[in-house]
Amino acid sequence: MKIVAVTACPTGIAHTYMAAEQIEKTARKLGHTIKVETQGAMGIENELSQADVDAADVALIAADIALERPERFDRIRKVEVPVQLVMRNPEAVFGRL
Amino acid sequence: MASAYRFTCPLASGMHARPASALEHLARRFTADVSLTNDRTGQSANAKSVLGIVGLDIRHGDPCRIETVGRDAAWAAESLKVFIEQTLPRADDVPVVSERRPEDVRLPPVLRQANAVVNPGTAVVGGIGLGRAFAVGGFTVPDSIPLTGVDDVEAEVQRVEEALGRLLSHYDGRLDANDDGVEADVLRAHRSVARDPEFSRTIVHAIRARGCTAAGAVAEAEAQFTGMLAATGSAVLRERALDIRDVCRALLHQLYGKALPRDEIGLSGDSVCVAETLTPGQFLALDRQWLKGLVLAHGGTTSHTVILARAGGIPTVVGVEGLDAAALDGQDVVVDADLGIVVTALTDGARRYYDMERLRLEQRRVRVHRFIERPATTEDGHRIEVAANVGSAGEVSQAVAGGAEGIGLFRTEMLFLARKDAPSEDEQFEQYRRAVVDARGRAVIVRTLDIGGDKPLPYLAMPKEDNPFLGYRAVRIYPEFEGLFRSQVRALIRATAFGRLQVMIPMVSCLDEVTWVRGIIADEQSRLATEGVAFDPGMPLGAMIEVPSAAFIIGPLSEALDFFSVGTNDLLQYFLAADRANARLTALANPLEPSFLRLLDHIVSDVHACGRWVGLCGEMGGQPRYLPVLVGLGLDEISLATPEIASTKALLTGLSAARCRALVEQAMKASTARDVARLLDQRDHWRPLPLTEPGLVRVNADCRTKEEAIKSAVDLLYAAGRTDRPRDVEEAVWQREATSSTGFGHGFAIPHGKTDAVGANSMAIVKLRAGVSWGSPDDQPVRTLILLAIRDTDQATTHMRVLASLARRLMHEKFRNQVEREQDPTALCRLLHEQTESI
Repeated sequence: MKIVAVTACPTGIAHTYMAAEQIEKTARKLGHTIKVETQGAMGIENELSQADVDAADVALIAADIALERPERFDRIRKVEVPVQLVMRNPEAVFGRL
Repeated sequence: MASAYRFTCPLASGMHARPASALEHLARRFTADVSLTNDRTGQSANAKSVLGIVGLDIRHGDPCRIETVGRDAAWAAESLKVFIEQTLPRADDVPVVSERRPEDVRLPPVLRQANAVVNPGTAVVGGIGLGRAFAVGGFTVPDSIPLTGVDDVEAEVQRVEEALGRLLSHYDGRLDANDDGVEADVLRAHRSVARDPEFSRTIVHAIRARGCTAAGAVAEAEAQFTGMLAATGSAVLRERALDIRDVCRALLHQLYGKALPRDEIGLSGDSVCVAETLTPGQFLALDRQWLKGLVLAHGGTTSHTVILARAGGIPTVVGVEGLDAAALDGQDVVVDADLGIVVTALTDGARRYYDMERLRLEQRRVRVHRFIERPATTEDGHRIEVAANVGSAGEVSQAVAGGAEGIGLFRTEMLFLARKDAPSEDEQFEQYRRAVVDARGRAVIVRTLDIGGDKPLPYLAMPKEDNPFLGYRAVRIYPEFEGLFRSQVRALIRATAFGRLQVMIPMVSCLDEVTWVRGIIADEQSRLATEGVAFDPGMPLGAMIEVPSAAFIIGPLSEALDFFSVGTNDLLQYFLAADRANARLTALANPLEPSFLRLLDHIVSDVHACGRWVGLCGEMGGQPRYLPVLVGLGLDEISLATPEIASTKALLTGLSAARCRALVEQAMKASTARDVARLLDQRDHWRPLPLTEPGLVRVNADCRTKEEAIKSAVDLLYAAGRTDRPRDVEEAVWQREATSSTGFGHGFAIPHGKTDAVGANSMAIVKLRAGVSWGSPDDQPVRTLILLAIRDTDQATTHMRVLASLARRLMHEKFRNQVEREQDPTALCRLLHEQTESI
């Protein structure tokens, strides 16, 4: 599967990046192709273009705050989860994709 | 003649002691009888009696009536009407310590979960003290004095009346010496109780009607009036009961003197004094070696007792409501003047909290201690002398031991205050000699007598002034009291034979004052030379710059003077015309006002242009926040209280003089103090610090809860000097924790918070001896926590990148195992910091 993901936590200091790492790790393990954008204290990094999103099968949104530029995901199937869930049980999250 | 006037009580707290005593004061001026009636209850009282008025329990909105009967009844009614309409509504401003309820206190999480009994009060001297409580009594009649059984009733009545008379003149005498401030307010309240007709009538009645002794009668009066006040249901009035108790106690002392128990209390082991009130005399009788804290049910921030406690560094909390001193006697209590609470019924958790607090303060002290012996220098090698302010010769050796590079201000007022006549020249000489000898080669700047209308001396006939701070004081009074000044000058000149002594003149506003002082000094020097007394003829003479006019005649002053010291307290209040003590003006009396900074910069550059030396000895010198400004101004010296010296030296090593100068240049161009504050908050002038360092690592920590573990990590930041507000850091971390647990499983947690309470982005690592529950997703207890405190204002730094990569690496088991195994702080720092940085 081709997946795009975004992570964002309230302070943008730690969990944004921990969740991103967790998602990448799990995707690799399960054999998916993935690109993860982080919206943290350093702003948007590894930004997803509209083309990235359009080329993907599904978008995984792990955010505890409102996303920046949410309109990119208007036309794609979205799975939205709290950041904590990605940390706790990433495989279960992937099971819902 | 009779007259009546009706009104409704306008006072929110009712007719409490202060308005009652004002009403009584007025009523006494008339010969007519004045009665006050509370129409809600139908009770009446003599308005010439405070106790009578207070006993009416007049509350807000109660309908009341004043009736006057007698010769000047109409005039009395007219005056009282004006008083009630115009003065009374404003009498509500109660000058008592604010009452705080337990819910007003923001307890740190560890203490909150400790279930100890917390009694809020108001901290007046900072610090934390733990010890066994001992009660210092207010009012008790010792068993040795009988309460009843008087043979000669009239002789006993006369004895009481004489004692009351003596007590009243005692109050009058003290009020003559000082009728300003809280102390005087209290004294006036006491005096009005002592002369209250109800008070003496009750005592005399008890003797005549029931054959009480004087002691028995006073005890009865005490019980009756305090009971009556307690019954009114007003906290303010209950507090007034203490005034009555104080007056009764003082009256007993007048009556029995030596037969009463002595104030001295023998202490052994750490102790905390708990009292309703404590007089300065009672305080001084306590063994300071064991006194670890002071808890007072009432007492202002400016009482002499509190001033003494401050001088002795005794943590003090006042205004603690409803504390039963007698019941606490013998129990361990904590006076926590940092939180403004008294903790009783110490639980295990509370003890652990205070053990942690002790460790926190001790570690900070040890860190700062290293700087005592070092010369004060900035990061870029700029020297700025750090000196001490002292109030007596006895403090000099302490200051030197605390790292003082000189004595920047020796206030000589203490030598002159609180005595019946002026100290002799020899007595003064002995003090100045001791100061320079104890300074061991360091310069001692002695300020000549700074006294005047605000602090009158009984042996100087000084006129009373409406505005003593703009009046007849300091250098301005020297010509009138020339003999007194000459004796001080002679003592100072003589002391120069024993060390480096410099003389400084206070309140200089024009050149003539300096010229006059120079003349006197030259005169006394030649006399001493004729007398064959040894002295150093080159004794430097300087002036305080505290009157704005002096700042604009630095050139001519420099012709006559060798050095200057800026007194920021007075300079600021004169420059901005804002009384520092006026709570409504605190926002205005801000030393960061760009206008004030420009004034300071002008002073320093003018003094330096004249080739002279300039220091600063006001409160501004002791506040870390202002330090970059003081460095940037290019001052040669700052003088502050001894306890701040080592920490100020430590802070200086983190500052760049060049960048501080740039800060001051920018600050002077700013429009408002707010803009300057913002510049200070940017902290560009501080040396950048690494995210973590070995001092921010604690291994094998003994923490039983998540709360303790977080505190332990935050305390490391405090000990390392990265924050002065650890509780704010803790709160920021807990705020984040409230959104969701930062435990991410595998025994790790990464608590974090955004707060400007840290001076630099910081990471503290705590490894626990035993895991604590953290609400982690895998329900595993946490054994390793990595706490991040990130500044709110400057996140866009490389630190954030480091943290992001660290967060990612923590998702990998291999890395976590490495962190878990490593027990050496230095290696752990390298592992967490450098390796992640290189990613």
